[in-house]
Amino acid sequence: MIKHHPSESALRSFVEGALPSTKAILISAHCDMCPTCLSKTRSFTESIAVDMFPDLRQNPTILREYISMFESITNDSTLLNPSYSQTLDTRITLDGREFVLPATLARFADRIGEWSHLAGKLWHASVNIGGGSLAQFIYMDRGASVPEHTHKGNELTLVINGKFTDGGKCYESGDFIELNQQHTHMPTAENYEGCLVVTMLDMPLHFTSGWAMLINPLSQLYFKVNTNN
Amino acid sequence: MLIGIPANQQRNETRQPKDCSVEMSGYLDTIAKQRCKASFAKIFSYFAPRLRSYALKQMGNEAIAMELVQDTMSNVWQKAHLFNAEKGSPSTWIFTIARNIRFDMLRKLQNRKEDVCSDDLWPVLCEQTADTKIAPLDEQITLEQVGQYFNELPAKQQRVIEAIYIDGKSQQEVADELEIPLGTVKSRTRLALQRLKDMLREYD
Ligand SMILES: [Zn+2]
Repeated sequence: MIKHHPSESALRSFVEGALPSTKAILISAHCDMCPTCLSKTRSFTESIAVDMFPDLRQNPTILREYISMFESITNDSTLLNPSYSQTLDTRITLDGREFVLPATLARFADRIGEWSHLAGKLWHASVNIGGGSLAQFIYMDRGASVPEHTHKGNELTLVINGKFTDGGKCYESGDFIELNQQHTHMPTAENYEGCLVVTMLDMPLHFTSGWAMLINPLSQLYFKVNTNN
Repeated sequence: MLIGIPANQQRNETRQPKDCSVEMSGYLDTIAKQRCKASFAKIFSYFAPRLRSYALKQMGNEAIAMELVQDTMSNVWQKAHLFNAEKGSPSTWIFTIARNIRFDMLRKLQNRKEDVCSDDLWPVLCEQTADTKIAPLDEQITLEQVGQYFNELPAKQQRVIEAIYIDGKSQQEVADELEIPLGTVKSRTRLALQRLKDMLREYD
């Protein structure tokens, strides 16, 4: 069962489109997995819409200052580009196990890089979302453990599948974890089957912290991403 | 009941939001099916000024606010076929369009470098290609308009456009038939439409 959710105010900012991309992606992916937060975002969406458009009484005519806008929209023969959402069933195969990605992350499937070995029983693949943010998948094989460390930036993590413990807490599939620089932690997947998480770091200046400290250019190609239609 | 005001008149003054919502849904449906300007005028006259107040509050700049209103209303006009009354009210749908546009505008304005757009997060304006066919071409460009420029498209794009818009196949069917990835079909379609659009603009 999912125990760790984004805060209500984060969900609301997400709905308003006011969050940075990294946090928005992870909250969206969490909502793909968490019916509770999904229904909260739906009711926020509706209540904001009601606030914005309170009395559905119509204005009988178009106000003068909007007439030219109306004309240009309806007479414009140029097209808005059609967009298409990925409806692909996207799975990641890791060491013989298959993981289905939440719909939001599936839309980034073509931006997932090669998997490479980090250290010990840890593997990673970065997600190329551009900009200065670092987004990556981390796979902790059974018994994996990350050395104790503190944070210098804000780190967001979503558990896609599996379990790990950290600071006496147990995190499971769907859990959304937000850590700031006050946290010291040491995630371990000691007693569990492998665990797949996706994590985002907003301040990549501090590659010596968090999951990001694990990035090691001495990587070998090992896992592969499958995109099944 | 207030003294002096007949009950039925009182009721008329505050119209039930639900009734209005049904009425607005009807307008969107007519816009989608018939490109009905009169219906769009009803939607526009109500939503445009309210969108402007929202945009002004959020963006704090008149020119940017009006750009947000115009982009939102253009999408309503061109993509009314994507509205689904079973999923929510017209107000909610129009808010989500404005929100998406705002997210993309903010990304540009703040010079955020992330390559993440609103379609990645909220595919409210995305064509449903999973099992339904994509929007017919005449909703976007008329075939007559296209005819003269069609031959100028690269052969590969011609095949995709023909299969989708003339034979009415889904993108997935085209992908299977041509043995190319779905993503390639999508990008060829997109490129071809963009090209047609550019040619139309250039020669008009
Ligand atoms: Zn939740």
